Amino acid sequence: MPLWLREHSWRQTLTAVYLSLPLRGARATPANIFCSEQYLKVSIPPFLFEAVLYAPIDDTNSTAKIGNGNIFFTLYKKEPALWDSLTLANADKEKLQYLRENAVLKAQEKAKEETEAKKITKQEHKKYALEATMKLEEAERKRIEDLKEKERQKVAKELELWKNQQKDGDKCKSIQAKEELHQEIEPLKERKNEKMNKTRIPLEGGSKTRPKSTRGCSCSIFSQDLKEEQLPAPRPAATIKVNFTPRVFPTALRESRVAEEEEWLHKQAEARRIINSDLSELEDLKEEEKNPEWLKDKGNKMFAMGDYLGAVNAYNLAVRLNNKLPLLYLNRAACHLKLRNLHKAIEDSSKALELLTPPVPDNENARVKAHVRRGTAFCQLELYTEGLQDYEAALKIDPKNKIIEKDAEKIRHLIQGTMQSS
Amino acid sequence: MSAVLGPERPQVVSHVQQALSYTVFDCKWVPRSARLLCLGSAARGTGVVQLYELHGARLELLREIEKPKPIKCGTFGATSLQQRYLATGDFDGNLNIWNLEAPEIPVYSVKGHKEIINSIDGVGGLGIGEGAPEIVTGSRDGTVKVWDPRQNDTPVANMEPVQGESKRDCWTVAFGNAYNQEERVVCAGYDNGDIKLFDLKTMSLRWETNIKNGVCSVEFDRKDINMNKLVATSLEGKFHVFDMRTQHPTKGFASVSEKAQKSTIWQVRHLPQNRDIFMTSGGSGSLHLWKYEYPAQRSKKDSEGSEMGVAGSLSLLQNVTLSTQPISSLDWSPDKKGLCVCGAFDQTVRVLIVTKLNKI
Repeated sequence: MPLWLREHSWRQTLTAVYLSLPLRGARATPANIFCSEQYLKVSIPPFLFEAVLYAPIDDTNSTAKIGNGNIFFTLYKKEPALWDSLTLANADKEKLQYLRENAVLKAQEKAKEETEAKKITKQEHKKYALEATMKLEEAERKRIEDLKEKERQKVAKELELWKNQQKDGDKCKSIQAKEELHQEIEPLKERKNEKMNKTRIPLEGGSKTRPKSTRGCSCSIFSQDLKEEQLPAPRPAATIKVNFTPRVFPTALRESRVAEEEEWLHKQAEARRIINSDLSELEDLKEEEKNPEWLKDKGNKMFAMGDYLGAVNAYNLAVRLNNKLPLLYLNRAACHLKLRNLHKAIEDSSKALELLTPPVPDNENARVKAHVRRGTAFCQLELYTEGLQDYEAALKIDPKNKIIEKDAEKIRHLIQGTMQSS
Repeated sequence: MSAVLGPERPQVVSHVQQALSYTVFDCKWVPRSARLLCLGSAARGTGVVQLYELHGARLELLREIEKPKPIKCGTFGATSLQQRYLATGDFDGNLNIWNLEAPEIPVYSVKGHKEIINSIDGVGGLGIGEGAPEIVTGSRDGTVKVWDPRQNDTPVANMEPVQGESKRDCWTVAFGNAYNQEERVVCAGYDNGDIKLFDLKTMSLRWETNIKNGVCSVEFDRKDINMNKLVATSLEGKFHVFDMRTQHPTKGFASVSEKAQKSTIWQVRHLPQNRDIFMTSGGSGSLHLWKYEYPAQRSKKDSEGSEMGVAGSLSLLQNVTLSTQPISSLDWSPDKKGLCVCGAFDQTVRVLIVTKLNKI
């Protein structure tokens, strides 16, 4: 049950109501105050104060001041009138309830409206900002375009000027050429001069340069003849034989392909080497014995029967034919273990592990075996720490294997035992 | 690699763009004029030669000539300024020299090669250099042949693979070292990365090297001087600049290489007015303008006492992307500094102006 705050005091003017509410020690924040047009509530659990006001107030402009253990409300009346009392008298429970709910709803609506208004203004601001930046960028772009355009026009003008000069030069030269031809024919000279005069008028630029170039042209005719004579005879025919850079591939050399090509050549060389090295001995072998897979199966069978040396031989031959199969090394390691060739067993398991990269679930099984075999070999050589390392690696791959766990434990004990004793 | 500062950098301005209805393989300025030629192959398998004139902001078609075989390359290098005959190599291996005023019958014609002529160069004409006018053609049949327009049917020099050797396509040829009447070299680049330098005076192989990627384009910085620099561009975005002044007996010429664009560098062209500036065009439709800076000492002595060249450094002046297709041909105008034309495989030819080259 809330504790009602009833020791409020109020006074009024024509336009406003001043309400003072002592708080009895409770601390108030703006969240505790709820106010709508005709309903005022202050709820600071466990205290509660509510008032259904006599007449509607303007709740947006009204204020509440919190301080000194007191809330001081300044409520502006909607209609200037003097109230008989702060609250509505003879308000029954239902009416109160209704008013309360109404008030809450109204407040909610107002809140919604406010958020929407805020959203709209925010959007408008954003749009404005965007437009402003666009305008700036546009201005910048235009400025650059203008610069370019100016440059272009300047350059075009220069070009026109140059071109006109060229044209004049050309026309001038053609006229002079004609003139030279006619100079030799005396009687026609006068008529030609008349013609020259007529054609001279439109060419203002040309006429100025004419006297100078006439001299130049006549010189050039002579010099042309001289030059013709001075041209050497055509070279005596000869052939130069050309060799191209030697290349293995028929395609032309491309720098970006060099790495690929090197790799390909390397692989080819290796394959060839393998085939060549075995040629002499393999002649007496049957066809199936040249197949590494078949040899591996043979080796497995011999291992099962206990013929470890035979198995090793089979595996050796298989490795010579194809040294990239990890299972061959794995199985050979097992044979060496049985034969107590511990170093060879370690080597083979290591080689098998190398070939079993990348570590994927597919070769989990094989890797576990490789680690176990290598671990066993280490332990038999009394290199217990290395052995333990391998066993732990095996456990990591396959944590559910009890045998490996047991063996790993045994090794740990052994290590601790030796440490204690030494 | 040093960079030129912002506002002073040369700008590449695209002046005119002309869409063509055929694939353009080569574009060349007609010397001493504002006219340019486009050579290519029409869709129906015939060769096209178009002559345009630059009029303000557009190109005006002056003349169109159709030939039975598609034309791959052309040069004005071996003709005199008065005649201005065009030498072309076509897809069938024919070398023809045309008078553009009367293009029906070629002035000179020979079936020089068994396969397409990939590249052509001319020297001795246009008032540049001295000596006999000669044309060199490099073809897909692996041979490089030098022709004299005054001698019919047989080449004056023939660089062919040794009997029995598998041939490699010759992709590019260039003349150089033509500083007097006797001296001349031909540089040829092949699709397997071989670059071979043939000396025509002694008729021998002077130098060869392999740059590990097919050589798309070689050019000397000037044809008519003692050979100074050679730029060789290749596939996979790399190009090499060789310093040709000092040849070491075993190491050959010193070089600096740059990997600029991720794609093939199709062409390199030196600015006729400044031999240390050149432009490379790439398979991604971009053009890069480079400047070569000489080292403090161009040659030094190695441990045995023989002279060895020292390569300089390159700086990128500007780069611009004009097209999405490779720009396969590029030509600077010999008359106006900075004016150049480029033809790309998107069937457009563009006239560009490079500004501020005077300040370099």
